[in-house]
Formats: sequence, structure tokens, C-alpha cells
Amino acid sequence: MSRKTDVVIAGSGPAGLMAAYMAARKNCKVRVISEGMGCLAIGGGYVDLLGYSEAGKRVEKPFEALKNLSESHPYSIIGDENIRKSLADLCECLKNQGLEMAPAKDADGAERNSLVPTILGTLKPTWLVPADLEGDIFEKAQKILVVSVQGFRDCKPALIISQLRRYASWKDKEFDPLVIPGPFAEHGRALNALDLARAAEREEGRKWLSQNLGNRGKNHDLVLMPPLCGSHAASTLRREMRNIIGCPIFEMLAVPPAVLGLRLRDAFLRELWKMDVEFFENSRVLRANVKDGQCVSVVAEASGREIEHVAKTFVVATGGTLSGGTILEQGKAREGIFGLDIKVPENVDDWTKPELLGDHIVTRLGVKVDGNMQALDENGKPCLENVYFAGRTLGGYVWTREKSGLGVAYASGWLAGRLAAEKVLGTGAAI
Amino acid sequence: MLTKEDDPNYVEPWLEGCKNAGISAKEISVMEALELEPNLAKDIVRVFRVPDSCVDGFRLCSHNKMSATRYGAKVFFYHQVTGINQKNGKVRSVSVKNAMTGETFDIGCRYLINAAGSWAGEVAALAGLHASITPDRGTLIGFNHRFTSRVINRLHASGDGDIFVPHGSITILGTTSVPTDRPDDTRPTYEEVAELLTLGEPLFPLTREYRILRAFAGTRPLYTPGGASGRKATRNFSVVDHSKDGLEGMVSVFGGKLTTYRLMAERVTDDVCKHLGVDEPCRTAEEPLVPEPKPEMLEKAKKYFPLHAISLMAARLGDELPKVLEKAELAGNNEARATGTHITDYAGNPLLCECELVSTVEVDCVASDPDSHSLTDVRLRTRLGMGTCQGAFCSLRTIGSLAEHGIELKYPPTENVFRFLQERWKGLRPVMWGLQAREMEMGRAMYIGLLNLDGAMNEQEN
Repeated sequence: MSRKTDVVIAGSGPAGLMAAYMAARKNCKVRVISEGMGCLAIGGGYVDLLGYSEAGKRVEKPFEALKNLSESHPYSIIGDENIRKSLADLCECLKNQGLEMAPAKDADGAERNSLVPTILGTLKPTWLVPADLEGDIFEKAQKILVVSVQGFRDCKPALIISQLRRYASWKDKEFDPLVIPGPFAEHGRALNALDLARAAEREEGRKWLSQNLGNRGKNHDLVLMPPLCGSHAASTLRREMRNIIGCPIFEMLAVPPAVLGLRLRDAFLRELWKMDVEFFENSRVLRANVKDGQCVSVVAEASGREIEHVAKTFVVATGGTLSGGTILEQGKAREGIFGLDIKVPENVDDWTKPELLGDHIVTRLGVKVDGNMQALDENGKPCLENVYFAGRTLGGYVWTREKSGLGVAYASGWLAGRLAAEKVLGTGAAI
Repeated sequence: MLTKEDDPNYVEPWLEGCKNAGISAKEISVMEALELEPNLAKDIVRVFRVPDSCVDGFRLCSHNKMSATRYGAKVFFYHQVTGINQKNGKVRSVSVKNAMTGETFDIGCRYLINAAGSWAGEVAALAGLHASITPDRGTLIGFNHRFTSRVINRLHASGDGDIFVPHGSITILGTTSVPTDRPDDTRPTYEEVAELLTLGEPLFPLTREYRILRAFAGTRPLYTPGGASGRKATRNFSVVDHSKDGLEGMVSVFGGKLTTYRLMAERVTDDVCKHLGVDEPCRTAEEPLVPEPKPEMLEKAKKYFPLHAISLMAARLGDELPKVLEKAELAGNNEARATGTHITDYAGNPLLCECELVSTVEVDCVASDPDSHSLTDVRLRTRLGMGTCQGAFCSLRTIGSLAEHGIELKYPPTENVFRFLQERWKGLRPVMWGLQAREMEMGRAMYIGLLNLDGAMNEQEN
């Protein structure tokens, strides 16, 4: 394998994979270097765009609300049109692998957020849901079966039912709990959603699910279950089970390991393998060699030694504090590869508010970029000519509160990957 | 440990002091010390072995309650004393308010002991008395590693940041001393944390590299009738019989440290016993707070609890071990399993908190206690959520399990989780960097980003 490539992408979360997809589609040689699996392994699965405004108001139609975001918000920097295009490419990529997703629609055909149930019994606004799900299913369904599996500690129908009933729109629905036996006669440890999803994909697992669920949905309008209908993008299990159960199934958002997120990841990996994208896994990018404002190469750890990766352009999609892309130290914050300084107050107490749900400086830390996704120095000038930032490396938004995490990741990854490729091909025009 | 930064001339007077107090202090070589505790700084100068120990403060409180209850005491948690009622210069009763329900009532008494620690001055004031109590905040850091097996003290005049205490699977570094005007000023600050880390480095050079779990703070009830404060104020305690102030039937214990808490109790109780005409000698120095669990009970526990969790569980449960075992036996019996709306799932008695090895049955028992109002109460008794994940995984599982078993707490489940995370947040704020910041982001990603707990707080009803 040549040490040289066109585009190096650091990070294999949603932003990194999307950037790789865009660059590879433009026929660039792409190499993804990743330390871990990215955030898709720990969350997500349905694609959030914007669930709440910056002021915390719930959003029904995200594209209308995008216009009101502050100038420094990544969505404002990326722009409406690019966001739309990125979502279209995302849907196409997923569809290629058998995972069809789409936003719900109003009666008049207008696209809107869906309020989907989680295993905590809460509702969460999200944008892309399985395309075969009837848009108004959550409003219409009156009799709901809530399913879990014996020995699965993270999902308890009694909790979900009691908490869903606390929402005005759900309190008059009828609920039935159903806990089916586990798929294994004996197991040495407690089961998680991924164990169950993998088990369900096997022939005997299919039997287990269909025998325990067969006909149980007959008198119901909707079945809510934890995400256990397969761990792969192409799994048809949920649709098969829908026929067996006799009513629509919705897999609730669940805590890690995130089966739904892994399906998105699986779809991207398969698309990228088709285009011969190279992967360097378990390899953390340690630092960069920069000359005259150009990144020449990055140095990554690999099995205890260091490897230099030379490329024409670079996409940094290493995530924020959680993934290690942003490094927080006592009284200091910096971007992890280039060491870009991120301004924070010296006193760490000033990074947060006493209330957990307050507006914390620390949750919006990140790299400042221009419309070309290039980092800006303290004077507001781009400082790395061939480096593009994407995903939670970016500052200026609070994804947790806005429920905008995957949307920003895919849109910024899309733009960064495209710009990195255009720079290589010499077709790039500033936008 | 005498480090390079400590005054070597302090050693002789200190040894003299140990001798006078009857505390053994045996010098060992630095080499031997490093063999015992390899993470210590290589450049320490002198090392002395002294007898030392540590306690689990939460467990100590709950076991004291068990012990007192066994002898007939009634304990009212979450009750605030709102008045001390006197007649003819004698205390007759106290008025209390249940902080959970708002209910108020009087408790009649022949004698009142004011042992309210940092609040002792405020309680005294309810009786119209003045006591100079200066609360003094001490902040400590909990690390997610047990990097020392023994308590390690700096050999110098008592000061900030001079003690490392191994505690279960973690290590605690303390303590600061900051005068405050509020007894409930328990918010640790970054300034104190930064100071502690700097002070800790001469003993453990990797102090800054270890992952911090959280910082926490408490207030010392310094008794300062002469006006001294901070490190200068005495850590001794005083038993004050208020008959000298013209009020019969009330005694206060001011000042003191946890180290001497039992002795303080003995002295004040002896004083009260004299008034009540009781001459039974105090036995708290000889008698354990809770009995050792019987071997046959531990043997039985092996059927329902993970082997490596049994001794931990037995130690924290104390008097309640038999109750928990009984419940486990009942739950393990298929025929005895309740069915109906709530489908019980005790099969295998799964762990809800893997960091601190807390199982479903134990949580159910503790949560069913009338003194448990919140997930935080369950935490204080079981250590649920006190480990590496700081509640990220176990809080969801716990409220799920409680809902499944029909056990209701004061707050509805989502609010309970929110309050639980809010409480953890307080300790993470001053240490928001490194691995602990990543752990915090993980929790926020799960509960706020993924599960929309913040939205639920506004959108759910009742």
C-alpha cells in the first residue's frame, strides 16, 4: 500500500464516513484513519436534524427553523442547500444498502419531525425514520404493545408505558406490556441490545422472534420494541416481523451498544468498501506536519509504532470531547491533531453552569470554520489551506440540547469531503 | 512521608508527639516503602509506618442508624428541627418538619442533644442560645483508581492536600480548608481542586494523570469561641451543658472530627445519662455497629449473588442482609414470582450497577425502605452510580427495574434520573477535563442527546 493518497480522513464516525463517501464518489483515493468506531456505536440510529431551537423551543419543521439559527451555528455556515443535498446523498447511500429512511410527512405532504419513543419512555424529535413507517403512526395508534426480552436490563415495558403516559398526546392510548423469553437457553452474562440483534439475525433467532411475537400484534396498532431486528443495514427482519406480528413495528431509541447506529455505520462501510476506500483502524492520529499553512502529512499510531500518512487534502472528523477530537486540560482546550487553540476561561468553574441543563461553554467548544470548513485563526483568517473540519470538531452548537448531532455530522462531513476532493481535482470553487 | 518539600526539622517533634500520644511510628527505608507502594515518588526522603485506617462515611451513617434502631431508637431522616420548645427554663419538645412531605409535628423529650455538626450553631439559636460555629469547607478529589493500598500522609504540620486515602476501588485526595458562612456550602471549586492536585504531586507524581471521578466537599463544624478560624481553629470538641446558660435539658456537642465522633458521642451520652440517672457503662468502643454476617448466610448468598460481590454487599447491608437474602430466595423461586401487570424479572438477580456490583434484589430492598425517596437515597446506601460510569448506565436500568417491580419513589422516573444526574454534575463541574470530561459527555450524549431527558422535563405532565 502506498503511503501517499489523495484524501486522508481522520475519524470514522458519521462525519468521517460521509466525507469519505463524498470524496470517493469523486474518484479520489481515500484513506480513513480511526481510533475507534465513532459515535454511531454509542447512539443515534434515526437521523436528527434539528429538534429544538437554540432557545430550547421544539421544532416541527427543521428547514424553517434553520433560518433562525445564529450565524456561528454550523448549519448557518454550511447553508440550507448543502444540508438538503447532504441528506439526499445520505438517503441514497443508505438505500443502496437496503436501509431506506425518510422524514415523516404531514397530511398535506410537508416534511416534518417525528416524535419517536425511546426506551426511557421519553419522546424525541427526529428527522429521518424508516421509510416504510406511516407518517402519522404515533398519532393514530391507539392500542400499543410494548415488547422487551427477559434478562435485557435496559428496556422495561413498565417504565416505558408509565413514562409515555405522561405526555398529553400519549396518555389516552392503551398499552400492553410483553416480555418474551430470551433467545438463549443459558447465558453467562446480562444481555445487551447488540447480543439480541445478532442472535435475531440467525436462523434460530428468527424462529425465536417469530414464535414469541407471532400474532401478538393482531389486536394492536403498533408494536414498540428495543432495536433487535438485526445489526446490519440490509436486515429485512423488521419488515418480516411486521408481517408475522400483524401490525407496524417501531424500534425505540436505546442506549449503547447502539444497534440502530451500527446499521447506519454498516451501510456506509459497505458503500466505502465498494469504492476501495482504505481503512486504518485502531490508529489514533497523533499530530500533523504543517508547512507554510499546508498540511503535508499526519502521523498516526499503529500497533505501537508511528506511521506517516501523506495526502493532498485532509478531513478532520475526530469528534468533540467525547471522542477525543477536542482535548480539555486544566484551564485549556485545543483541537487534538493540529493543536488549534480553543479559547476557554481559565477558571474551569466558568465552563459550566450549576444546573445540568444550563447553557455550558464546554458543550459548545470546537474549531471555528468558514464556509469552506477551514479552521480560522484568531484574526478570522483560514490557517490550514488543505484541511477541512467536520462533525463535532466544530464549535458553535449544542447538539445534545438541539438534537442536531447526526444532522450536523452528515451535512458537515458531506461538505468537507466534497471540498477536500475538489481541491485534489482542482475543480474547487469557493462557495 | 517526608518529601523534599517538607521541613526535615519537623520529624523529631512529630515523633515526640506520637510517643506521647501512644501512637507507634516506625521508620522504614525508602526502598521498602517503594516496594509497598510503587506509585509513590522516587525522591521521598523519609518514611514512617503509623497505624491508620479509613471509613465509608455513607455506610457509617447507615450502620449507626441500624445500631441505634436495634436499641430502640427512632430515626427521622429528612426532618428539619424548626423549634425547641421550653417551659419553665426546661426543654419539653422539639418541632420538626418533614422535608419530603411538609408535615410538621412535635417530638416530646426529657433531654435534647444538639449534635448537628456544622448546623449546631443554628440549632442552638433555636433555643435562644449563641454558639460560635464557623463552618469550614473541605474539598476532596476522588480518583477512579486505587493507586495506593495504604493511607499516605505528608509528614508536615497539618495542611491542605496532604493525605491520600484508598477507598474501595478509588483513591481520595484531601483536603482543603476554606472558611464559609453557610453550613451547607458543599460545592467544590476548581480553585481548590487545582490546589489539591499541585499539593498531591510530591507524593504521587502521576496525580494529574489519574482519571478523576469527581470532587466533593463538606463543611467542618469548627468551634471558634475565641475567634480562631481555618487551620488555626481547634479540631477538638466541646460538650456544653446549657444549664449554665439557664436552660435545663439540653446539651450540645460542638466541633470535633469524624475520627473522634464515637468518643464525642460517648462523652455527651455519659453527660446526659448522669441527668437521667442511668449508670450503664458505654459499650460503643467494644461493640461493632452491625454484627458480622453468619457464614451460613454468606454461603446461602452464593446462590443468588455474584461471588465477588457478596462480601461487599454483606458489608454495606449490615442488619439488612437477611432481609435481602430472603427476598432473593423468594424471587429465585419460580412459583413465588408474582405475575400480573408487573412482570417480575429476578431471574439470575442481574446486576444493575456493574461498577459497584449492586444487584436487582438489593436495589429493590433499599428502594422499598420508607427512608428512600430518590435514586440518590438508593445510591447512598448501595453505592449505585458511584463508580466509573457515574450513573450513566445504571440509573436507566434501576428506574426500569423499579418500575417493573412496582416500586415508586417520591419523584417520577424521568425526574429521578434527572435529579440523580444533576447531583453527579455538581461533582464533575470543577474537574471538567481529561477522561472525566469524556465520561461526562457520554452521560450527556445518552440522556440528553439520545433520550431527550431535557425535553421530557418540560413536556411530560405530572
